[in-house]
Amino acid sequence: MNVLCFVEPDDELSAQAIGFARSLGDTRAVTFGGTYQPAAWARALAAHDADAILAAGSDRGNELLAHVGAILDRAFAANVTSIAGGVVTRQRWGGSLLEEARLHGSPQLLTVAPHTQPAAEIGAVETLSAEDDGSPKVLERIEEASGGVSLREAKVVVGGGRGVGSAEGFTVIEELAGLLGGAVGCSRVVTSAGWRPHTDQVGQTGTKISADLYVACGISGATQHIAGAKGAKRILAINNDPEAPILAVADYAVIGDLHEVVPAISAELRKAQG
Amino acid sequence: MRILVCVKRVPITGGKMVLTEDGQALETKHLGFTISPHEECAVEEAVRIVESDGGEVVVLTLGPAEAEEQLRDCMAIGADRGILLETETEDWDAQATAGAIVDSIGDDEPFDLLLFGNESADAAGYQVGIRVAHALGLPVVTGLKKIEPRAGAVRCERDVGGARDVYETPLPAVLTVLEGLNLPRYPSVPGRLRAKQKPLARTAVTPPTSQLEKLRLVVPEGQGKQAEVLGEGAQAAPRVVEVLQELGVA
Amino acid sequence: MLVCGGIFARRAWFLTGLVRGARPSDRPGSEAARVRNEVELVLGQKKLLQRLVPGLMHAFIFWGFIVLFPTIVLAAIYVAGGGDHTPHWYSVLADVFAVLVLVGVATAFVIRKVVRPERFRGSHLGEADLILALIAAVVITLLLWHLVGGVAFAWAHLVVIGAFLAYLPHSKHLHIATAAINVWMARTRSGGRLEPLRFDVPDGELRFGVATTADLTRKEVVDAFSCTECGRCQDACPAYATGKILSPKLLIMGVRDQVFAQNDAQIVGNGVPEEMIWDCVTCGACVEACPVSIEHIDHIVDLRRSRVMVDAQFPAEAEPMLRDVERAANPWGKPQSERAAWAADLGVRLLDPGDPAPEYLYWVGCAASFDERARASAEATAKLLQKAGVDFAILGPREACTGDPARRMGNEYVFQAYAEQNVATLNEQGVTKIVASCPHCFNTLANEYPDFGGAYEVVHHSELLARLVREGRLSPRAGEQPITYHDSCYLARHNDVRLEPRELVTSVGRPVEMKRSGKQTFCCGAGGAHMWMEERGRPINAERVREAAETGAETLAVACPFCTVMLDDGVRETGAGLRVADVSTLLAESLDA
Repeated sequence: MNVLCFVEPDDELSAQAIGFARSLGDTRAVTFGGTYQPAAWARALAAHDADAILAAGSDRGNELLAHVGAILDRAFAANVTSIAGGVVTRQRWGGSLLEEARLHGSPQLLTVAPHTQPAAEIGAVETLSAEDDGSPKVLERIEEASGGVSLREAKVVVGGGRGVGSAEGFTVIEELAGLLGGAVGCSRVVTSAGWRPHTDQVGQTGTKISADLYVACGISGATQHIAGAKGAKRILAINNDPEAPILAVADYAVIGDLHEVVPAISAELRKAQG
Repeated sequence: MRILVCVKRVPITGGKMVLTEDGQALETKHLGFTISPHEECAVEEAVRIVESDGGEVVVLTLGPAEAEEQLRDCMAIGADRGILLETETEDWDAQATAGAIVDSIGDDEPFDLLLFGNESADAAGYQVGIRVAHALGLPVVTGLKKIEPRAGAVRCERDVGGARDVYETPLPAVLTVLEGLNLPRYPSVPGRLRAKQKPLARTAVTPPTSQLEKLRLVVPEGQGKQAEVLGEGAQAAPRVVEVLQELGVA
Repeated sequence: MLVCGGIFARRAWFLTGLVRGARPSDRPGSEAARVRNEVELVLGQKKLLQRLVPGLMHAFIFWGFIVLFPTIVLAAIYVAGGGDHTPHWYSVLADVFAVLVLVGVATAFVIRKVVRPERFRGSHLGEADLILALIAAVVITLLLWHLVGGVAFAWAHLVVIGAFLAYLPHSKHLHIATAAINVWMARTRSGGRLEPLRFDVPDGELRFGVATTADLTRKEVVDAFSCTECGRCQDACPAYATGKILSPKLLIMGVRDQVFAQNDAQIVGNGVPEEMIWDCVTCGACVEACPVSIEHIDHIVDLRRSRVMVDAQFPAEAEPMLRDVERAANPWGKPQSERAAWAADLGVRLLDPGDPAPEYLYWVGCAASFDERARASAEATAKLLQKAGVDFAILGPREACTGDPARRMGNEYVFQAYAEQNVATLNEQGVTKIVASCPHCFNTLANEYPDFGGAYEVVHHSELLARLVREGRLSPRAGEQPITYHDSCYLARHNDVRLEPRELVTSVGRPVEMKRSGKQTFCCGAGGAHMWMEERGRPINAERVREAAETGAETLAVACPFCTVMLDDGVRETGAGLRVADVSTLLAESLDA
């Protein structure tokens, strides 16, 4: 198979995608120079003769492939975890459910589900150019005043859910996050209750984290939340309820009241850190 | 402005995914339904724009007869009328869905703005809005957290991890939005009562042969994993710190 | 006199107009009970006498007022030249009561000027002083007429009465005209039942609670007129006691001010600060304390209804709960498919549609189904019922939230949707008897669902378990551990269930009572949808836990899942050495031991 794979330089998800692409066949890794203009870039991709066009299941990857699919009037399978004999397995519900589907036609268009493939060396990348077709493109980038660690990039995220009980209750969460040099996250109930801003929300419709450790405090583990948390390499759940769904996806757990457990962990950390 | 917002009826799942016996769908017997948080924000945004600049909000869905409930919810917060593309089957992939939407609005007065959630809560194909845009020959910007209509155009912003990319496009256009765009209002009861009387057009639709043909659904392994319990209550703290040190984060 | 009479009459006409123009109330009651209330509460001054000294003070003045009333006529005849027809026995009686009135007035002044109780904070003390002075003047002029004689004093007596008459309906002393009416109009049963709204009526008749004074019901208007600013409700209110701004007294005074302001202004924000209506836990301590049967909860819920249903303005943290109740059928937002998970290994019968109805439908409630601390009580109750051989079953996923949190929050619309749905489920299943673990479910099923076609015999689990113990079907082992029982507001106050949980406590341990118990119980803080709302000021649950700890008991027994969670939280927060456990759990443990 001739495979065309869109990558972005120094991008972890692209590194995961390129390995997957190579497992399908001869792969050309391509990227674009200049301002991001999704429809135009997609047109350029679509113009190539390939049996399969891939990208990472990132915001840009999914967007580009969707455009390619529309341009070529071909099916596009987003967030694929495997493909065999024309049958893809792809993620639904942010990864809590899988769909097996037959992908008809050519080229096969798919994006690779984040954090389901090992990263590979991206290697040689061709830089293509795309003709400006008048479609929307990025006009400017406004940097945001970075107040602390970004949730998306944090190596450690400490999240609080319904169990935290109030906006003030998050002080203990912030304390632990601070001691671990991490970011504070929360579940959707917390943002709906107005205790934290939506920018702190970890979930299917919030931020999808890729931390080394996610500490989920007082979070029951609804699939909508897990969808945002499963990118974390390890999950530690702190919960009163031994039957909470989060324990089925966590690596470690402490059964107890977060208002007692979290400060205790912070205290131990301070002792250890001297 | 005439704004079309497309929404999808999805079940409110809990912590577990349970499938029907034939593995073709989620078991929804005792589940409630809603629309995705992205779409709630889309409807709210449309209603706000029309409240300040005048116009009409039309909300459309492709789904079973019960999806009327979701359309009435949207009307309760201010959408003016609804379109239900009624279907008995769930076998609609993103391409087919986009096609049905395009067909249904073919005869209507043109819309200035078509809003979609960035991806649906369940199937999450990330493509319906983009396909509709191409079919109608309209520009499309996706993944938006901010929308500012200007005369005959719209300026919009997308989060890119610590920064915002700014786009501008002339109208008419298709935009797909993310939760966080706004804070959707809670419906008032007078709004709900009025919504019962607002016009709802129904059309029966059937899907074409699918190019992404669903064979079955599978609950991924890893569910049913049992976490290693490090301890109970505050006494677990020392063991937790040990683990944190092992993981290299403390 | 004519002038004064005229002033009085004009004002009375105005006030009755306000009442007549208000919305009709709809509260059930028996005439016999109303008569009994008039005798006990009005004539007998029963609630007032709960505080002995202020009670006697008022009783002397009140009874004196009744006994002395004919003196007005007698004085008028005398002054008109018709001679003094006062029979001797009546003169003596009148003099005795006149002295008692003076004793009362003097006592009142001592209370107000020397003791200065906290409950008067916010009341109009100057007005009260003036009224007391006028009462004293009425009585002094009477005594002087009787003892000294002469037309002058009789005239003086009439003049003072005339002035009082004109002033009366313009002051809080209005209560003497309206109190008896308010007592008559009050609920005589189903204390926990809120009046339903109707949504299936033409637009012009739709009422979404109370936004302006035009929306008040007649009872609410008469409530406002009857308030004497005595502050007993303020003293009883757990919110006020823990530093919130809610004072039931100030709330009713605020409503009254708005009624007299005669404008279109929203009551919330102009007479009643917004925070006040959200601080309320609907515990009913205020209603219980009020000597003139003001029903404050109706005001608060009606004000909430308008804020929630029309303005969609309410504390943000309650929004997830309202959305979850509406869309997921329970305030925890957990999937209904897992509602019976707690019973999975217990062999509890799960009813399918079409199955024969059990003798008792066990209504588990959302808390026991989804909260890990409340679950214990459901497990214990199920095992106990099985042990006693009771024929019972649960609805499982078809048991939707009764709607109580939505209703207390003010979202009557969502509540009614669930009331109708649950009544349909229960009726189709042929259910006649229900046992409920949660007093809130119990209250709604027993008192509120009849308005929606659901008529069942409903008992609380403590009532059924107590009966099983009495009948010897369950034999607990007596114990020595000191247990203090916390009365749930929705059991003890709204529904008069106080004895049965105590029977259970006595059967397994040694009961120790808290000071505020029974009808005087102090809330755990979860009612009025506060289980899901944040609390300002000091926590109510910590306050109650402190009280429990002071009894020296080791166990704090409860009969409610909300009380279980709130008081357990309170124990953790205060570090009190108390174990919080439901009476069903304690009973089950005693059987296993």
